Amino acid sequence: MSAASGNRRKKGRPGKAGNQTLPSGSQDKNLEMDALRRGAISAFILFHLVVIACFAVPTKALAGAKEMVLPYMRWSGLFQSWDMFAPDPQSVNSYLKAVVITKDRHIKVWSFPRMEELSLWQRFRQERYRKFAEVLPQQQFAPIWPDVARHIARFFNSQSDPPDKVLLIQFQSEIDPKAGKSAEPTPRPNVFYDDYLQPGDLQ
Amino acid sequence: MTLRTVVEAWNRFFFKPQSPVPIALFRILYGICASTTILLLHSDWLNWYGVHSWVSLSSMRQIEPGMRLNLFTVMPQDDRWIAAFFWVCLLSAVLLTLGVWTRLTSVATFLCLASIDQRNLLMLHGGDTFLRVAGFFLMFAPAGAALSIDRLVRLRRGLEGPEIEPRAPWAQRMIQIELAFMYFTSFWWKMKGHSWLDGTALQYVLHLHSITRFPVPLWIQSAVVLKLGAWFTLVLEFSLGVLIWFRRFRYPLLLLGLLFHLSIDYALNLPMFSWDVLTAYILFVDPSDLERWWRGLVRRFQATGPQRQLLGSAKR
Repeated sequence: MSAASGNRRKKGRPGKAGNQTLPSGSQDKNLEMDALRRGAISAFILFHLVVIACFAVPTKALAGAKEMVLPYMRWSGLFQSWDMFAPDPQSVNSYLKAVVITKDRHIKVWSFPRMEELSLWQRFRQERYRKFAEVLPQQQFAPIWPDVARHIARFFNSQSDPPDKVLLIQFQSEIDPKAGKSAEPTPRPNVFYDDYLQPGDLQ
Repeated sequence: MTLRTVVEAWNRFFFKPQSPVPIALFRILYGICASTTILLLHSDWLNWYGVHSWVSLSSMRQIEPGMRLNLFTVMPQDDRWIAAFFWVCLLSAVLLTLGVWTRLTSVATFLCLASIDQRNLLMLHGGDTFLRVAGFFLMFAPAGAALSIDRLVRLRRGLEGPEIEPRAPWAQRMIQIELAFMYFTSFWWKMKGHSWLDGTALQYVLHLHSITRFPVPLWIQSAVVLKLGAWFTLVLEFSLGVLIWFRRFRYPLLLLGLLFHLSIDYALNLPMFSWDVLTAYILFVDPSDLERWWRGLVRRFQATGPQRQLLGSAKR
């Protein structure tokens, strides 16, 4: 199998002659096809090396190029950002709670799963909630806050006393790396969403 | 350096045929990671992706617009369809692991993982991203050429001999490049902050309650050790991005990288992240070393015929 034939699999039985038995015209044609194939693959490789670099290298110099390649990266699923704990790790501990107020003015509290309170297995399985709760309060995700409020309200849905209003609250405490964990300040609440539910929201 | 030498080096790197055993091993590890990821989500399939999920499909499209490879946008918005989709994803990942209809199942697995990621972008970690991106290039690789049911079928039908034909490794190279790129840009991102350079970063990381897993020994939590740890992270990420391409550094770096990820997995609750990334380490192992280790194993366990045939003896 020639190098140029790429990933193509030979269909013939083992030991059978390949191109050796072909007339020279066919050989030339095959070589030409192999060169074409290799050229096409090289173009594919080069294109992807460039777009991935433009998209994921964290420099302002490539900001314009990133905008250009963004549609392809989004479409293809090749979007990526390797900024874990970077440029600096978070300097706050945070968790989320929701307060649901019913039509009869009863107050119910729902907590997003807090990893530090879960068993090892639950932590392993529910880690997605940690990530979700971490990014949810960011302003860029404001359009999904009503979805989250509705989802939580459904947990308390009842015919006799349905939910009426939902508040989403983030509790944060600054990390002082020099202090022990017990010396951590009391978390401060920040209500980042509060709104009434609309008729039909709990359907 | 002339254009001709560049072209020759390019062709050698991407197209010089080599044993497909490393990419086949990667396929198996990748399939296991993909299956585990889908299974770990199982109890929350509908919570995260159902009709009444945390984030509706329309809201997700509002905050992340544009055309995307996302099967959720074309499937009926019905929880039964969505649950069925996840079972198909799981089946596809399992079949990929076994090497059944490998090309088809690698495409299906990539489409599934890409769709799952695109459907809810708020809960992804680096491991998900790596699986998705590596899955893209795996679709083009001869991943079923060894260690697969596909190969057994071809052997039985007489379509292949006991020796595995070498293949152009360009898709494998792209996954290797992606792994090295991941480390290098992680290093770059960290250099943009100050806490990694002044060595305080790990002190913050270990104080994040939501992310800790097993207790870290007190001597490791000392400021000096954590400072050294932060700087070691920078050096290692740079090395895994750049120096890994030099043969003499490769195996020591892979070993350090393995220990690095095992430490992350011990200390931090980031399920699957380390394992997703570690799968690609196998691609940096020389096929001849793999073959030598395999023969040693075969000798030790007195392998029977079919086991030998699965791997074959790769031509070099």
